[in-house]
Amino acid sequence: MSDLSLPANGTAAGAFSVPSFRFSATETLKHLVLILGSLIVLLPFYVMLSYSLKSPAEIMQNIGGFFGAQEAFRDDYCVKLGKDVADCMVTPAIYNYTTAFHKAPLVRYLLNGVIITASIFFIQVLVALPCAYALAKLRFWGREAVFGLVLFCLLIPVHAIALPLYIMLAKLGLTNSYAALVIPWTISVFGIFLMRQFFMTVPDDLIDAARMDGMSEFSIIWNVMLPTAVPALLAFAIFSVVAHWNDYFWPRIVITGNRDLFTPPLGLREFKGDADGDNFGPMMATATVIVAPLILAFLIAQRRFIEGITLSGMK
Amino acid sequence: MQSSRAHWWFIGPALFLMVLILLMPIGIAGVMSFTNYSLGNPGADWVGLANYEKVFTRSTYQKMFGATFRYVFVVVPLSVGLGLGAALLINSTRRFGDFYKTIYFLPVMAALIAMAIVWEFALHPTIGIVNSTLEQGCGSVLESWSWFAQGCDRGFPLWLTDRDYAIWTVAFIGVWQGFGFNMVLYLAGLTSVPRELYQAAEMDGAKFAWERFRLVTWPMLGPTTVFVVTISFIRSFQVFDTVEAFYPQGGGPSKSVYVMMFAIYEKAIQQNLMGIGAAITVVFLVFVMFLTLAQRWLVEKRVHYS
Repeated sequence: MSDLSLPANGTAAGAFSVPSFRFSATETLKHLVLILGSLIVLLPFYVMLSYSLKSPAEIMQNIGGFFGAQEAFRDDYCVKLGKDVADCMVTPAIYNYTTAFHKAPLVRYLLNGVIITASIFFIQVLVALPCAYALAKLRFWGREAVFGLVLFCLLIPVHAIALPLYIMLAKLGLTNSYAALVIPWTISVFGIFLMRQFFMTVPDDLIDAARMDGMSEFSIIWNVMLPTAVPALLAFAIFSVVAHWNDYFWPRIVITGNRDLFTPPLGLREFKGDADGDNFGPMMATATVIVAPLILAFLIAQRRFIEGITLSGMK
Repeated sequence: MQSSRAHWWFIGPALFLMVLILLMPIGIAGVMSFTNYSLGNPGADWVGLANYEKVFTRSTYQKMFGATFRYVFVVVPLSVGLGLGAALLINSTRRFGDFYKTIYFLPVMAALIAMAIVWEFALHPTIGIVNSTLEQGCGSVLESWSWFAQGCDRGFPLWLTDRDYAIWTVAFIGVWQGFGFNMVLYLAGLTSVPRELYQAAEMDGAKFAWERFRLVTWPMLGPTTVFVVTISFIRSFQVFDTVEAFYPQGGGPSKSVYVMMFAIYEKAIQQNLMGIGAAITVVFLVFVMFLTLAQRWLVEKRVHYS
């Protein structure tokens, strides 16, 4: 933030300014406001990371700066197990992260998260792509009606109809299963709408040429349309993965008790449920582990992420 | 065309799932809201409008509507306003715009349940960073602010467990989480405002930034605003994660944070009162659909799907 550290004497500098490096009071004020905002936005991220590195005593007394002193402390649980006190001295940061992985099957939760978000995305594409192609490029009786239905369904937030969906799944005996976590999201009307709008821009000549070559409609979808749709699909993938990795409401409803099926958010919630004073550090470590993948991916590919998340802006 | 029936294979699965997963549940919720159905019971009695009568007359549900509307009417204006403000500021600075954009967008990416748990720590009355930071301001000029002096005197608010502060604190977290999303949409909207319009406005005598904003930016951002407001409404109506994380039982101090999604969850899933849950679901759907239709109607004049 180099232009903020400039001496604050240039309120009138705008009048006779050096173009490349001029100081202005309004510019400084803007940056001050933006920096203040950034501090508030970053506060919980700071707390999360910092607590995940500190010892219980440091957390309780609110000391130790960001990293804590990293002095070894006594793990009371380990002592209770009857081990020698000298063996039970642990470094806070290491203790917090190892406890996060050992106290609860965190790896399993993460794996569940990956399986579920991946299955949801693949099924969504499998269902939406052919439908979008037909709506965009084929002429048939009832096409307008089907598209009208898609537009109507865009009005329905799936979370809002969670209750009847839950009852349907319960009647089928499907609660507490992967299927329950995936089924409600298999249809993405938004995906259909988005892909249809994209396919409308693909020239008909391309499809006609493919048909001349004797390609079936099926292989046109997967071999001609799919490759052209990669940018839109990528954006949709980000949209879908972020929504379902972070989703808490739906898993909370259909998964009760069976830890083997927990998604990362549910695992973290469970951790909070039985956390006492000593477990704040490990809990923050768990939170960090769960939040980190998407944040890191976002930092690496910001433009694509922002595009994907704000896709709904295209409606 | 050799495969005149191919389209049914393409449309079929999507059509089937749309009916099964999106339309049928609305019907089920509609029918169930007139019964006293519970999961596990063989049948259910038809109770007519009794569930709706409860929803619109009992004090619990009055608190539910109160909490929901308080939350929505704080989060929507603030997250839209701050989103627009951040976008305008970032757009007008010469440097570090992308840097701020990245930071403000972080909360959108992070799992809300995780961040809710972190906020609970930050807002903890004794060990939380928020109150301990505020305490450091005691004895300074800030004490001339009566609210602050009172905090120094008798301790700062308990935030999440104080019934006067709870809903506003939860709403603050909602704004914290959502305004970056709106900012990005506004930034996209700003790129489509033609530069010449500003020059033209300046020539017509709009000397101040505020006048240029009022005459050019704001009208040009109209469609973006309609969309941003609608999506903020829909997202904030659906608030659940923070409420469940802070108040797993009962919806906060004297039910002051008993929002609709939590009420559906509590009545139907926890207490197995499906009829009431369904009635709240129907009311909820009416709100959300009405808002979206209003948005479409407003935008219709400019955009046509074809």
